[in-house]
Amino acid sequence: MNAKKTFKLWMLGFCGMATLAVTPVFESTPAFAHGERSQEPFLRMRTVNWYDTQWVGKSTAINDVTYLRGKFHLSEDWPRAVVKPNRTFLNIGSPSSVFLRLSSKINGTPMFVAGPMEIGRDYEYEVTLKARLPGHHHIHPMFAVKDAGPIAGPGGWMDITGNAADFRNDIKTLTGETFDSETKGTATGIMWHLFWAAVAIAWVGFFAIRPMYLIRARVLAAYGDEILLDPIDRKVGIFFLVFTVSVVTFGYLSADAQYPVTVPLQAGEAKIKPMPIKPNPMVMEVTHAEYDVPGRALRMVIHATNNGTEPLTIGEFTTAGIRFTNKAGAARLDPNYPAELVAADGLTMDYEGAIQPGQTVDVKIESKDVLWEVQRLVDILHDPDQRFAGLVMSYTNSGERMVNPVWAPVLPVFTRLGS
Amino acid sequence: MFRTDEIIKASKLPPEGVAMSRHIDYIYFIPILFVTIIGTFHMHFDLLAGDWDFWIDWKDRQWWPIVTPITAITFCAALQYYNWVNYRQPFGATICILALLAGKWVTIWAAWWWWSNYPYNFVMPSTLLPSAIVLDVVLLLTRNWTITAVIGAWLFAALFYPTNWAIFAYSHTPVVIDGTLLSWADYMGFAYVRTGTPEYIRMIEVGSLRTFGGHSTMISSFFAAFASSLMYILWWQFGKFFCTSYFYLTDDRQKTTKVYDVFAYATLAHADKTKTSGGKA
Repeated sequence: MNAKKTFKLWMLGFCGMATLAVTPVFESTPAFAHGERSQEPFLRMRTVNWYDTQWVGKSTAINDVTYLRGKFHLSEDWPRAVVKPNRTFLNIGSPSSVFLRLSSKINGTPMFVAGPMEIGRDYEYEVTLKARLPGHHHIHPMFAVKDAGPIAGPGGWMDITGNAADFRNDIKTLTGETFDSETKGTATGIMWHLFWAAVAIAWVGFFAIRPMYLIRARVLAAYGDEILLDPIDRKVGIFFLVFTVSVVTFGYLSADAQYPVTVPLQAGEAKIKPMPIKPNPMVMEVTHAEYDVPGRALRMVIHATNNGTEPLTIGEFTTAGIRFTNKAGAARLDPNYPAELVAADGLTMDYEGAIQPGQTVDVKIESKDVLWEVQRLVDILHDPDQRFAGLVMSYTNSGERMVNPVWAPVLPVFTRLGS
Repeated sequence: MFRTDEIIKASKLPPEGVAMSRHIDYIYFIPILFVTIIGTFHMHFDLLAGDWDFWIDWKDRQWWPIVTPITAITFCAALQYYNWVNYRQPFGATICILALLAGKWVTIWAAWWWWSNYPYNFVMPSTLLPSAIVLDVVLLLTRNWTITAVIGAWLFAALFYPTNWAIFAYSHTPVVIDGTLLSWADYMGFAYVRTGTPEYIRMIEVGSLRTFGGHSTMISSFFAAFASSLMYILWWQFGKFFCTSYFYLTDDRQKTTKVYDVFAYATLAHADKTKTSGGKA
């Protein structure tokens, strides 16, 4: 092969590599979500009913602290297909560890390890987050159930500003030292890896400097191994054996002396009590529910009784983190709640007035919006168990909120609107 | 110093053949053998012991010292068979673990640090290089794979925990967060969010290896040593199964025999030695 041809081949290879390297610059766009819409509707609607979710601080500087707060209700209509929440963990859905989780509390109890939770009860959580990586990040609360998987809550955007290189996270240990979680142990670990790699390369290299394969195979096959077993190999082998065991012993003892106080990994179980059951004078039961496929609307008939002393007005239906409100509910919406998860005029009723104390009514409620389609909840029609669940919020005149979990089977309606 | 000249002479290769064999060594040894081991062993290891090796908060006293050596000794035994039986080269285990760690560090740099932004200390792998060197040395000194299975494999597993304590002892330093006692490793696992890896995924500190006053590590290491011996035997045999090649030789009397020696040179030498003529393969 002459020089010109070699040069041509090199150039071709170079162009190919350059094309591969440059292509992502033009073609790739960032992924901004975690596939939460791909979870089946029965998972999102009938397991964890999220509410009052707050992404505190839309923009946080590196090293500053912010919070993710909210509440959730574990639906009474928990699907048969999903393992019961006997071992659960409140997690964060984020693109890598853009925030450091400093603390995670449920009903005031720290949740470092997983634990059981009760179906039909409510929990309030607060996760303390320290900004670590700059960017525009989509953050979810996430409820992980052992043997069932993670169940994503509503996602909201949180920005982090500043320089990632400025991030530090110093924690004082019980023995009085201060460790930076970004760097502690890295240099020691790399040093030991490099050291042992050097020893291993020396061991292999000792044999690699002499003919390795073909020649030895021929000699071995023809004459056996008498010639091949060089006496110096045994001497060097003994040296490596003694050296290796000595260094391992030294490393172990010195590390033990440096860190005399250690504890094993903590693998307990979080014992978290649910929130106390708040007296709720409103009693609700769904007597009929249907999903209008072309109309993108969930209609339900609710048999509601107000056993309290104040009138109650229904204002919101929420499921899978999506909020359908009427005027009464929209007035109470957190303006920071992600707009893409709210259908502000999406809730209509045939009885808009307040339900008076002692009154029992059957209310037809329609939650209607393209969000059913956009959030892929219309896939309820393909679920193995066609049911829905969610929370209905009603309010007293003084603003007190009653939260009623509702659930029922859903019948599909395929006719066109008005037909 | 070495018997190299004697060995080359015995190979009866011409000088250009010797030079070519060294080229084959370099081509075969680094790009083919090493990269193949990285690809295969790394995948095998990560599928079976990956989480214990990736995450600092998985490196417990019970399962980490059991799962890691038992998983790692597999390819080491097979590669030892290949290197020892065919070439009398005692570095099969060491090259195997070197390749594994090369693959590991590529992953740690590219996938965990550069792509996922986890700090190195959170995903620091353990090392089995001292274990592998000792395993190779035992094979070299004893020249017996059964004794290597008993002593070498036992040492392979027993050395694992003390070797890595030098790297990870600090991670068991206690800290108190929100009034709760954690090890530093637990804190790291909690602080650095892993969306798809909730805490209950960790397979740590569960099981019944807790007798003898809580000396779980010692018991786990002994159990790992015993299981590694068995695993070594199994994978040595796998190495034998996959490395054994043969052909059929038909001699002058049209008698066909199965010959396990695939080198024509050696076959001819064998024929020469046994005073029989060659034949057709």
